[in-house]
Amino acid sequence: MSFDPVANLQLLVSGLAIGSIYALVALGFVLIYNAVGVVNFAQGDFVMFPSYVAISFLLPSIAVFGTIVHWQLPLLLVYAVVLVLMVGFGLLFTRVAYYPLRDRGWMPVVIATIGVSIFLRNLAQLVWGSQPQVMPSPFSVQTIALGPLQVRPQDLLIIGVTALLIVFQYFLFERTMLGKQMRATAQDRDAARLIGIRVGRIVTITFVYSVLLGTISGLLVAPIFTVTKEMGALIALKAFAASIVGGFGSIPGAIIGGLAIGVIETFGGFYISTAYVDAIAFVILIVVLVVRPQGLFGERVGEKA
Amino acid sequence: MQLTRKKFLATTAASGAAIGFPAIIGAAPEPIRIGSIPPLTGSNALLGEQEHDGVLLAVEQINARPGKVYDDRPFVIVEEDATNDNQSAVSALNKMLGENVVAIVNPVLSTQIQAMAPVMKDQVIPWMTGGTAVKNMQLGVPGAFRLRASDAITAAAITNFIVGEKKAKKVAILHASDAFGTGGAEQIVINLKKHGLDPIVDLQYPKDAKDYTAEILRIKQSGADALAMYVQNPSDTAVILQQIRSLNLTCPIVGSPSLANTTAIQTAGKNANGAYAAVDFIVGMNSNIATHFLTSFYNRFHKQPDVGSGSGWVFDAVNLLAYVYKQQRSTDPKQTIASLEKIRNWEGVLGAHTADAEHNMVHTVSIGQINDGNFALVKKVTG
Repeated sequence: MSFDPVANLQLLVSGLAIGSIYALVALGFVLIYNAVGVVNFAQGDFVMFPSYVAISFLLPSIAVFGTIVHWQLPLLLVYAVVLVLMVGFGLLFTRVAYYPLRDRGWMPVVIATIGVSIFLRNLAQLVWGSQPQVMPSPFSVQTIALGPLQVRPQDLLIIGVTALLIVFQYFLFERTMLGKQMRATAQDRDAARLIGIRVGRIVTITFVYSVLLGTISGLLVAPIFTVTKEMGALIALKAFAASIVGGFGSIPGAIIGGLAIGVIETFGGFYISTAYVDAIAFVILIVVLVVRPQGLFGERVGEKA
Repeated sequence: MQLTRKKFLATTAASGAAIGFPAIIGAAPEPIRIGSIPPLTGSNALLGEQEHDGVLLAVEQINARPGKVYDDRPFVIVEEDATNDNQSAVSALNKMLGENVVAIVNPVLSTQIQAMAPVMKDQVIPWMTGGTAVKNMQLGVPGAFRLRASDAITAAAITNFIVGEKKAKKVAILHASDAFGTGGAEQIVINLKKHGLDPIVDLQYPKDAKDYTAEILRIKQSGADALAMYVQNPSDTAVILQQIRSLNLTCPIVGSPSLANTTAIQTAGKNANGAYAAVDFIVGMNSNIATHFLTSFYNRFHKQPDVGSGSGWVFDAVNLLAYVYKQQRSTDPKQTIASLEKIRNWEGVLGAHTADAEHNMVHTVSIGQINDGNFALVKKVTG
């Protein structure tokens, strides 16, 4: 296959866009893992569910519980409404899936997150039916020309918003008291409690923030993916792989891991085989685990202790 | 003890039941239990919903007729969820086989049919399927029938259209990695070879993929002058068509029937404009039965049916079973299979049904083109 610089740039943009989504979802995994020591298997459904909520307000008509509704609200208003609603959902999720089980070890909480995942998918089917839905894009054109490149503005938006969120997160964790409290809680909950941090409150904020990361991912990706109740499943699987590649528990690792998997699988699909795109992501995972079991940015257990 | 009217009636009814009184005055006719295994949950739930509705509509209409199926015997549906994976589908089938059903309708997914075949090989029971992969009817299942056009016909129609009408010499293939996609792609390759051609690229994508940039760029780079698509899932179809337009791939696209199902067309919107598909049903060109089906489906469920892959073929399957049961005045499975093998020119929603040696019932497809949400006939092909 001949080397085509335009095709390679095109692949890079697509890879970074999909990788950004993996990175945001991987961040959600990592933040919850750091805060409470469990993997949240509902993280992918935090991408799907708000997307359905958004299209209910956005589309000219859509069946909700079998009743046709015609809200068709402005896009930015819908984004704001969905984010507010998902804050409420995050609080509810923490109260229902985490708090009652928090003193019973990690396994019941993990099972609870699997339960929430199944519940959300079935709820989505009950409320919105099985029909795939298309979320309107904020852009009036599907592509823009950047020289010889045909780029989807939505891809650029995904990359841009992810970059902003990463910067925001850096300032949150490094420059604010709340961020420092979150980091302290992630490092040692008991010690954090001893120095006066309200750990329960910090855990709740972390859950809500993770739900919002999923929500933003969903709102960004829905216009190019179509909204289905399965849309979060594969994203979550790749994001999980990304967080392990980066070093489970490492925030920079989740970001780099997500971007790396997105870019490598896109190039792998082009240069190696489109049939084995998923396999490529998981081969990377296995290779990293063999060569560096703690992941690219993870600490060795001995170092951490 | 005082004998009230209520106690008298209760005692009389209980005694009558105990001595078989219903047999004397004429018991309610025994219902005919038919099984249905659509994918009601998972990523193909939309298909399952259409199949559920198609079976339900057929059963309701038959049960509302004088005499019902025959001798006042009504149909009763026994339904199990095939979900989205083969293991669950086989479990659902095993459960169904213990439910005393006389025939099974569904699935439509070839991958599930092929997974169920080893179980069905040992069963003598009519199995009305909708999957179009050629292999489905070559698995040695005695009761299996196909109520839709096989991919041998569809792929030949797609290839002949691409090569004959569109004069393409460099044909790219893009297909899903499931049994439907791979089976269809194999048939396209076989038919291209008949024209002395090999595909310029033959690409499959993994299940639930959402980014097709690599596939589309490879097709673009190959210089393909036509693209044959075998994609089952309407959501995948919509995303692929959107990305094809975004990446400015301009060659003609000719797809499998699923490209033109109502959901795919609605979801893809204007991105589907100009795409062709080989289908077993086009609104307006099939029989009065089809027109009646469309009207009654809409009146019953207040939505449009996905006729080909969704609700139409199951509606035909149930009606064909009812027709055979009425003719033979029996639901004996062995006799039913023999009767189905003799079916010639039975008219259903998808047109004339004639059983061939492999138990294929439908032998006609049409090429149509999508424009602004409509799908219009371009050419009719009989295999």
